[in-house]
Amino acid sequence: MSFAIAPQKKITVYLIGDSTIADKEVSAYPETGWGMPFHYFFDSTVVVDNRAKNGRSTRTFIEEGRWKPVVENLKEGDYVLIQFGHNDEVPTKKSYTTPEQFTANLLKFVSEARNKKAVPVLITPVARRKFDSSGKIEETHAVYTQLVKDVAAKYKVPLIDLDQKSQELVQQFGPESSKYLYNYLLPAENPHYPTGRKDDTHFSELGARKMAEIVLQEIKNLNLELANHIRVVPLKEKK
Amino acid sequence: MIKANFKKALFVCLLGLVSFTLPIKKHITIWMVGDSTMCQYDSSRFPLTGWGMPFAEYLDSSVTIKNEAKGGRSTRTFIAENRWQKVVENLNEGDYVFIQFGHNDEAKNYPDRYTTPEDYRNNLIKFVKESRDKKAIPVLITPVSRRKFDANRNAIETHEVYSKIVREVAAEMDVPLIDLDAMSLKLLQQFGEKNSALLFMQLEPGENPDYPSGVHDNTHFNAYGARHIAELVLQGVNDLHLELSDRIFKKS
Repeated sequence: MSFAIAPQKKITVYLIGDSTIADKEVSAYPETGWGMPFHYFFDSTVVVDNRAKNGRSTRTFIEEGRWKPVVENLKEGDYVLIQFGHNDEVPTKKSYTTPEQFTANLLKFVSEARNKKAVPVLITPVARRKFDSSGKIEETHAVYTQLVKDVAAKYKVPLIDLDQKSQELVQQFGPESSKYLYNYLLPAENPHYPTGRKDDTHFSELGARKMAEIVLQEIKNLNLELANHIRVVPLKEKK
Repeated sequence: MIKANFKKALFVCLLGLVSFTLPIKKHITIWMVGDSTMCQYDSSRFPLTGWGMPFAEYLDSSVTIKNEAKGGRSTRTFIAENRWQKVVENLNEGDYVFIQFGHNDEAKNYPDRYTTPEDYRNNLIKFVKESRDKKAIPVLITPVSRRKFDANRNAIETHEVYSKIVREVAAEMDVPLIDLDAMSLKLLQQFGEKNSALLFMQLEPGENPDYPSGVHDNTHFNAYGARHIAELVLQGVNDLHLELSDRIFKKS
């Protein structure tokens, strides 16, 4: 029996964050959070548990008791992918979180994940679609992205600079074509949005998948053990 | 007197309310018969998406979607494999049958799929007749366009012969027609030669774990493209004023 291999425990990857990651109600389709396509990328040893929720900041996520059950369920080797900022950084929003509190909350996520021997990964907030008059994409999370980076550097947390990477992608698409990445719909095009939609924050299926692909690539670049659990299919010419 | 009139008016109002809200929609099924551009895919093949998948998200709870479409099937092989028989046997009055074939029927280089124009026509007629025999409503759909542009960057027709046959059968037998070929061709033109690739299974090597060597496919849609095609079909349903359009999700 000494050669028997213990059945491998599944790794849970918790996603905590806001509407840019969250699973959507069918009635909100085609708005898509990047957590939705993200779970297709892993083999059967991984369960992606998308706890991200529309409208939440680090503060309201904690206050509403959304973080506590994550911590309670964390086990050694699990991951917590943390991406907040959109709702923290807007002073007019009820979800506003001061920079100091934002930093403290990120630190709370990191240290409590580590207490459970789980692996926290900090992710800077994904880019909004905003271009200046010369067609150059603008940084819309300057302060809060920096805070994420600071916490990552100070506490040696794996960091995915999704803000930067997604800005590069949106820039590649350019001011016009980048609309395809976001939830842009003409009036009467889609039954869920009869008057149409021009959303520069939330993604289409295309944008969500592209963002998920960036996060996946960065998981590989960070050499996280999780990268060993990305689905592998044999190379072939035609599927 | 005023009070009595008021009561009467109130009664009439209530009666009106009742008669407008009471008729509960009969539950129906939409049977989707077709090929790989319409069918359901397993998540292991994501982002590959048949347009029947997002289409289902836009109908209300009075509708069940049975997506019986299957990759690689022509009208001929769909029938030969008894797939059509299974649909017919389960059809109920008021059900819809969405019929979209052509890609594999017209593929002469795949003899195991190829269907002659004559047989294609006869098979479509068979689908229509047998649906109607069961008091179901057949809807003919021309095959969704492939992505092909000419030197002047015009999206070009890729189903010339077979789409025409669908249109003819629809006209001859007075079948509701959704000219998805024409609609999707227009969509591709709107996106343009380069950006229309965003609708299809186009992945760079290493971009997506399920397609390690990448894929450049101008026939099959990704999730984004499939949804756009589903939107066109929904538009087609509305344009036809089918009873079904009352079952498309409405924002309350």
